[in-house]
Amino acid sequence: MSKYFGKDKWFSMLRTITHPMDEFYWIRHRENRGSVPLAILMVFIFSCCFTANRLLSSFVVNDIDARTVDSLFELIGVLVFYLLLCVSNWSITCLMNGEGRLKDIAIAVGYSTVPISFILMLATIVSRFIADDEQAFYAIILVVGVAYGIIMMVIGIMQVHNYTLGKTLLTVFLTFVALLIIVFLILLLTNLLGMVFNFFKSIYTELIFRT
Amino acid sequence: MKLKSVLTKVTALAAAAVVGIGAFSLPVLAEGNVPYTTYNYNYWGDIVYTPAAYEPDKVVTGGNLIYNGESIGNFITPQDICVSDAGLIYLADTGNNRIVVMDGNMSSVINIIDSFDNEGVTDTFNQPYGVAVSESDQIYIADSQNNRVVVLNQDGSLARIVSNPVSESLEDGYVFVPLKVTVDYADRIYCIAQNMFEGIMVFETNGQFAGFFGTISVDITLWEKFWRKLATKEERAKSQLFIPTEFTGIDIDPDGFVYASNIDANGIQGVRRLNPRGQDVIKKGTNDNLGGDLQIAGSTDYAGPSQFTDVVYRENGIYSCLDKKRGRIFTYDHEGNLLYIFGGLGTQMGTFKVPSSIESVGGDLIVLDSSNATVTYFNETEYGRLINQAVSLRYDGDEEQAVELWKQVLLLDENNELANTGIGKAYLTAGDYVQAMKYLKIGMARDYYSLAYKRYRNNILTENADVYMTVIIVAVVGLYVWSKVKKKVKKSGKEVK
Repeated sequence: MSKYFGKDKWFSMLRTITHPMDEFYWIRHRENRGSVPLAILMVFIFSCCFTANRLLSSFVVNDIDARTVDSLFELIGVLVFYLLLCVSNWSITCLMNGEGRLKDIAIAVGYSTVPISFILMLATIVSRFIADDEQAFYAIILVVGVAYGIIMMVIGIMQVHNYTLGKTLLTVFLTFVALLIIVFLILLLTNLLGMVFNFFKSIYTELIFRT
Repeated sequence: MKLKSVLTKVTALAAAAVVGIGAFSLPVLAEGNVPYTTYNYNYWGDIVYTPAAYEPDKVVTGGNLIYNGESIGNFITPQDICVSDAGLIYLADTGNNRIVVMDGNMSSVINIIDSFDNEGVTDTFNQPYGVAVSESDQIYIADSQNNRVVVLNQDGSLARIVSNPVSESLEDGYVFVPLKVTVDYADRIYCIAQNMFEGIMVFETNGQFAGFFGTISVDITLWEKFWRKLATKEERAKSQLFIPTEFTGIDIDPDGFVYASNIDANGIQGVRRLNPRGQDVIKKGTNDNLGGDLQIAGSTDYAGPSQFTDVVYRENGIYSCLDKKRGRIFTYDHEGNLLYIFGGLGTQMGTFKVPSSIESVGGDLIVLDSSNATVTYFNETEYGRLINQAVSLRYDGDEEQAVELWKQVLLLDENNELANTGIGKAYLTAGDYVQAMKYLKIGMARDYYSLAYKRYRNNILTENADVYMTVIIVAVVGLYVWSKVKKKVKKSGKEVK
């Protein structure tokens, strides 16, 4: 357990928040500095915080019908998106001389959800103490947190691949394009597989009714 | 053996009695009696089933009415009804070219107007489509195929005839076909004419055409503008014209504001409240919608936005709109909140084929069906009465008194948002902020909830100010002392070294 969730791993993760430039660099270039399971745990926590914010934030700021919130569905959605993001970024950066491994990308993306999770929790608590005309505080807290998370993610990807900022932004854009292509291919594949399945199924039913 | 059979009989009897009493003592739910579903839309736009606010009472056909000892015969495609201030019902029996005047219950016919004396000549109507009665009890008849509005006195004598509107804004050769008509306290005539897209036609007291009123502006989206820019002249000529919708029904409130219904293709606003300058001043409520049904998706004939064909202003800001599409009646209050929905299409009592006009007489609502040529009376139920009264009290600014009524509404309809908001507001004024927050949250009244919360928070802060201040002062002093002590300990430690 301590191999993945040891004290040094947690320390390294927290250090990425305060010193993203340094720490993401070391995660790439020192063995066993980052931990993928810890990153996945952080994504899991992020999903929980996201759902909690939608469910528990105060009535004053919350315009979400609680009956439409499905925490399990959101967890699966977040994890699938995380997987797609990592894979598509990896496939793009492989072609663009990125130095990072899939492992490093997963860590960079996973760790950068930490400030967002924290801010979501903080905003949820703050929301329960504010009135209608103080909504701006809530909004500012959220915007700052999410912006910090995104900046961290960009820095992470930049350091992991040893890119310049311009190239990073380009790859981020291309990552989303790749993401769409992957989704399209998956849909196409499932559709075709379904057709094949139906084909064999109809052969089976034909055989059954023949006797 | 005998004893056993007697016992069995007694038990069976007792069981039957229990079942029988149970069946009789069960309150009969109102929705079981009506041939339509009664529901409302909540904050999220979801359908919430409610008790019936109105239930059908009776259906009146012309054949059952007696005048001068004989039946007046069935109505033929009647198009409009109007209730005068005296409580009489005027029915425009369009196909029979006559106006039938009845008492408020439609139990007896008081007068049948089918002709009048026009400067010595007996004149008749041709397809009288609309009828209205002014405060001075003059009868205004939209005599559609004779292209005129006839104004008669109560005794049947002609007061004046309004026809041939003359104006620069009218096309040459314009044929005036009045359909619906209403009249305000100053005897100004508001008239909906056929194929007149520019608005309601207003005539001054002397019959002079004064202009258009309440024109519905056409909204062209940016996207449509963009395509029109790209299109060639030929394409543009072929594409459909952007024509504003026509008004369909009209009514006027005692303050002189005109309520006019129109068919909105988007189902967003099917009724307007026009001030004397012709501007729409209606309030649209939390859902920002005055178009009847909210859930209108689908491709069947039964889907699509509601088509308001008439509107009636009732009292205390409450008005009801009649939907031709699904035969429903939507009632709104002065803030645009949807109060209740009832009615439907069908053949049972209380449902319609082609509803064409709605009026309010006494506490009842009456709906005219032009295809069945019948008038249906709807009585308010307990549920409807409570809502009507509570809304009226709120309209008068008497929210305290409304609370008792709202509480009774909650017994019938637990999640009624208006009732919860009403109770919450009363608690808010009374200073019970915890209760207020509870009710306002169910009522989805975010602004009032926030207000209640703010005061609640303030109360807690002021009540416990001494505790907070003590904690803060102790903490500051404690920290100060602690740092001093720490320094001293360090110093002494160094000295020892």
